[in-house]
Amino acid sequence: MHYFCVVFKSQAMKTQFLFPHGMKRIGWILLIPSAILGFFVIFFNFQASFLDCRVFAAYSGATGWLSENKAGMIENNITDEIAAILFIIGALLVAFSKEKQEDEFITKTRLESLVWAVYLNYAILALCVLLFYNMGFLTVMIINMFTILIFFIIRFYYILYKSKKSLSHEK
Amino acid sequence: MKNNLKVQRAIKNITQEELARQIGVTRQAINSIELNKYVPSTILALKLSAYFGKAVNEIFSLEETD
Repeated sequence: MHYFCVVFKSQAMKTQFLFPHGMKRIGWILLIPSAILGFFVIFFNFQASFLDCRVFAAYSGATGWLSENKAGMIENNITDEIAAILFIIGALLVAFSKEKQEDEFITKTRLESLVWAVYLNYAILALCVLLFYNMGFLTVMIINMFTILIFFIIRFYYILYKSKKSLSHEK
Repeated sequence: MKNNLKVQRAIKNITQEELARQIGVTRQAINSIELNKYVPSTILALKLSAYFGKAVNEIFSLEETD
């Protein structure tokens, strides 16, 4: 019995680049409102007027590449910046916080889901490259920044849910 | 890879839940191994072997396709 505990602990201590389990809840609290906010920003151009402010821009040229230096303070509405940053933090916490109990099966499921999400994300992006043009493609790119995490979260939790469900008729 | 984990559990009269707890893995891991959906690591195979007091190849065996 003692032997098993020692082995399990040494395994659990390996670096996994994951957040503590408790951060998952914080992740959801950030993810859900920022996703809703982001939805309205992208599809309805929502901007909260009290979020108009001066921000530092490393570059804010309207066209093309870094042909002219545009670094400096600019006027900007930061609704979309807030939504994006909160979504990224929230989604990362939800995606990469430890499960209540970690083991090699969960680790394998996580890695598989990540590969799966990358493939799906780029398959959809490749399709959109061929189907969307001009500003439509810009919207696709904006959404595509976030879908990789969304696909990962959906797939990872679906597999965990399915493997939990298959327990009920196994004794 | 095949395994007779379910048989070994039956001999010891232990549930998936209890086995998982003793070994320190999730119940899903034990269940997935029994359903041949998951091939455990050498570490986990050795833990199971030590727990049941049987050699690893008495619990796990290769299939034609392996």
